[in-house]
Formats: sequence, structure tokens, C-alpha cells
Amino acid sequence: MSRKDKQNKNKSIEEKLIKDLSLKLDTTVHYQKERRLWISINPDQIVETCSKAYELGFEHLSTISVTDWLDEGKHEVTYHLWSYSHNHLLTIKTKIDRKKPIISSISSIWGGNAETCERECHELFGVKFEGNPNLTPLFLEDWEGPPPFLKDFNWREFVKKDMYDQNNPREKVYFEVKK
Amino acid sequence: MTKIKEHNVNSDFAMNFGPAHPGSGNFAIKVEMRGERVLKATADPGYLHRGFEKMMEYREPMQNAVMSDRVCVLEPLQWNLVHAEAVDYLMGYEIPDRAKHIRVILAELSRIQSHFIWYAVLSLGTGFMTGFNVAIGYRDYILDVLNLITGGRVYPAGYICPGGVRKDFPEKAENKILELLPKIDYMRKFMLKENPAWLARFKDVGILTKREAIKFGATGPVLRGSGVASDVRRDDPYEIYDELEFEIPVMDEGDAYARFNVGMQEIEESMKIITQAIDRIPKGEVKTPNLKPTVKFQQAKGEIYIRNELSRGEGAFYMVATGQKTPYRVKIRGPSFTHMIPIVEHLLTDVDYADVPAIYWSLYQCPADVDR
Repeated sequence: MSRKDKQNKNKSIEEKLIKDLSLKLDTTVHYQKERRLWISINPDQIVETCSKAYELGFEHLSTISVTDWLDEGKHEVTYHLWSYSHNHLLTIKTKIDRKKPIISSISSIWGGNAETCERECHELFGVKFEGNPNLTPLFLEDWEGPPPFLKDFNWREFVKKDMYDQNNPREKVYFEVKK
Repeated sequence: MTKIKEHNVNSDFAMNFGPAHPGSGNFAIKVEMRGERVLKATADPGYLHRGFEKMMEYREPMQNAVMSDRVCVLEPLQWNLVHAEAVDYLMGYEIPDRAKHIRVILAELSRIQSHFIWYAVLSLGTGFMTGFNVAIGYRDYILDVLNLITGGRVYPAGYICPGGVRKDFPEKAENKILELLPKIDYMRKFMLKENPAWLARFKDVGILTKREAIKFGATGPVLRGSGVASDVRRDDPYEIYDELEFEIPVMDEGDAYARFNVGMQEIEESMKIITQAIDRIPKGEVKTPNLKPTVKFQQAKGEIYIRNELSRGEGAFYMVATGQKTPYRVKIRGPSFTHMIPIVEHLLTDVDYADVPAIYWSLYQCPADVDR
């Protein structure tokens, strides 16, 4: 089979998959590029959608990520799922309120893997995953400040204030750097 | 820094395996013991946490290319490649064919030297110092070639950069790589020699079933050692992998020996890939002409999730661009993250303490990519 025929065949399989997924997940499935699909859902549907996706063959939870949209006042939580049977990546996106960052945990579906990914997001972004049995700190040692990966956390200022001494000749250079 | 949430009531004492233990790397596991038996283990990452994801939000893509080496010391060229591909997609760069071939050759050389280290640390963990010395010695032949091509033995300083690669191969680099192959093959046969002591340490130890492997998010040799034939290079091909012929070694046992064996068989496949890529490498440019001289990242808008098959498994970059000089958000998915937290905790339940290094190293961990 030539490369072009192969591409055409893949394209028709892809279209069928998109149609199928749209129907079963009850939402519009968007096509980004070859083997990359995404959907956007309400935060309260997350457990239901993830378990449906799991049953449809998206068995591998690659990772969970949070994007902090400061201007919009929202956190976007993204779940990247890979399917070993369809060879496609499905990204599930959902937006939660930045002031009240609470979402249900999907650890009932992926167990320890989801639990650890959520722990990381909880520590670095402060998102609370309801139903996760273990949201203890992961990387940071004795950290009591705000979640450090938030966009409004100015780590340069923090480091200057807490770690460097302006009167120390070897460290004063950090205070001269323009923002 | 993780504190044990609930102690196992039957344990006599708890102790640390790492992070400064010679056989642990920069990673700690808190084990709760009863006599010689490990009842429960709690992974304690964070010793190498540098906050790369946040740092990348403050730097331009060419600076990030240099930083992406540091995500994992043991496979820097492959991390360069994942980062470069994410920026390439967001910028819409067409990568010249020659650069694609160079990227693949270097990624595979990096995979082989990383597998040598795997054998070295497995030997070190189980008290077989000869294996450690021989493997590290042979790895150096590969590092010499990487030094010749990229200018750095271990860290290539962003050699595989957005838009292609920084420089073309120096003269006779192809010959030097081909001269390496017999040496790699010698080492491969050395590693696959079965001796009773090696089998006794790794056979039937740390068994991870197929179902568990998928549920815990295992990838790479750990997943293939549990009987799932999945490889990003084949299932989600990038660069020129879909044009090359190579096999995907799989074993069904799911024990430490199967994981290691799959890794060692992969070296042969990597050698095949290198030979094919060198045979086909075209002449021409190695950088996209749009790159003048830095990445104009303000033009990029959108987001992408790029996956690559690293030595340890699936490595990925999630990058969001909003028309600023720097990426708005970068998320790095390291393969060891799932191997070293949920899987290691699962496998180190109710085992002998003597098996801890064998199980621990058979998961092919890199603490740097867990912590990032």
C-alpha cells in the first residue's frame, strides 16, 4: 500500500472514530491534528466522561495538567488519555473557578496513577480533588506559601526576599537585575 | 517531600532507602519493615525538584532547548527532541529531511547509552561491580561520538533545537557512528549472558501484571515487559520512524528480568534504526530557513501535547502559547513519574529487603524526570 493510500485509509478510520466518540461521549469531539482529539466539558461531568472514555478504550492516563488563566479567573484542568486500541490521544479539558478550585477526583478509575498526578496538581496549583484519599505534599519540603506555579506568584520576588541578602557582595547582583 | 500518611501497624521500624544511598540515585523510598521484610513503601520524591515547568514560562524557546537537556541526565538528547517538536508544531516549522535523520540517529544513540547505564546500575545494585565498570566503559565510546557531534559529552546544550539541529555532522561523523556499532554489539552480547547469580536476583521478582501495568500508567520497557506491545515510535510516529523497519520486543512475564531483557533487545533494534538512517541520510540543510536567527515565538498560538518514546518510556511536553515571547504553560510528563511513585509503592509491598534494589532498578528510574 502506498503512503497516500495509507493516509486516506487512516483518515476514514479517524472520521469514523470521531463520529463514534461524539455520539457516545455526548459532546463535540474536535480534531486538532493527526491522532490528536480534544473535547471540552463541564467540571461536574469529569468522572462520568473519564469512565466512559476508559470503557471506549482510552485506558492510558498519560498525565493531568493545570493551566492558570489569570485574566479569565479560571483554572483549566486537562486530562491526556491515550488509547492503545485506537492509537489516538484524547484531551479532556474543563474549566473551574480560580477562587474555588474544586473538582472531583478520577482516582476511582485510574487508582494510584491518577492519585499521584492529582497530588502534583494540588501541590503546585492548589486545585482540590474531591475524593482523592491522599493529597499530601509531593515535592516541596515544609512549604507554607501559596501554590508556587500560580501565575500571580512572583517567585523572583520571593527568592530575593527569603533567600538573598542585599548587603552580601556576592548576592547583591540579583537585586540589580531589571525585571 | 512526602511524609508517611498512615503507618503500617505491623511494622517494627521504618527507614529510608535513599536519597543519598549509593544504590538509590537521588530518590528516596521510606520502607516500613518487620525484620527483613518490607511491609510497605512510600516514595519520597523532591530531592531534585527544580521547577523546570515554571522556569520555562520565563524563558524563550532557544533557552528552553538548553534547559530541556537537564530534565534527565541520562537521556538528554531525547528530551531535546520532545521539546523541539513541541515548538516546531506551534511555530509551523517544516523540518528539513537531513535534520530529521540526524535527530533520529542521535536519539537512538542516546537510547543505547542510557540502556548501558541501566545495566550498570542493575549490576551496582546487586553487587556485580564488573558489570558496572564494563558498561560505563563502553558507554564512553558513545559519549565520544556525541562529543564530536554535539560538543558535549553528556549535555548537548540544546543541540536538537526548534527548527532542526544546531549544526551539521562534522566530517566523517557517519563513519565514526558505524565504527561504534561492533562495540555496541559486543556490549549487548556481554549484557545478555545469563549467569545463575543474575537470574537468581531478577527472575520472578517484582511481578507487574498486564492489567496493573496499564492501570498504573506504565510505559516503555516496563509496559512491554508486562506483555503490552506498545511503542510511541510505532503507534504515534514522529520524525522518520514510520519509514523505518524495526521490531518491538515484548515479554509476558512482567518480572524484573523481563523488563531488563526487553530493554537489552531494544539495543539491537536501535542499531538497526541507526544503520537504516545513515544509509538514507540525504544531503542538504539542517535548519528550517524560517529560523532567523531565533524563534519568534510571538507568532505561535495554540497548544500541543507531543509524545515521544524515550529510553524509559513515554515522555511528553504539553505546551500552551498565547502570542508572548515565552510559552504560557509547559507541562513535562516524565516516564519515571508513574514508575517511581505508584508502581514502586505497589511492587515493594511485602517483599524481602534484599529484593528492593533489584525491583527498584528494574523500573529503570531517573529521579530527575520524576521531580523535574
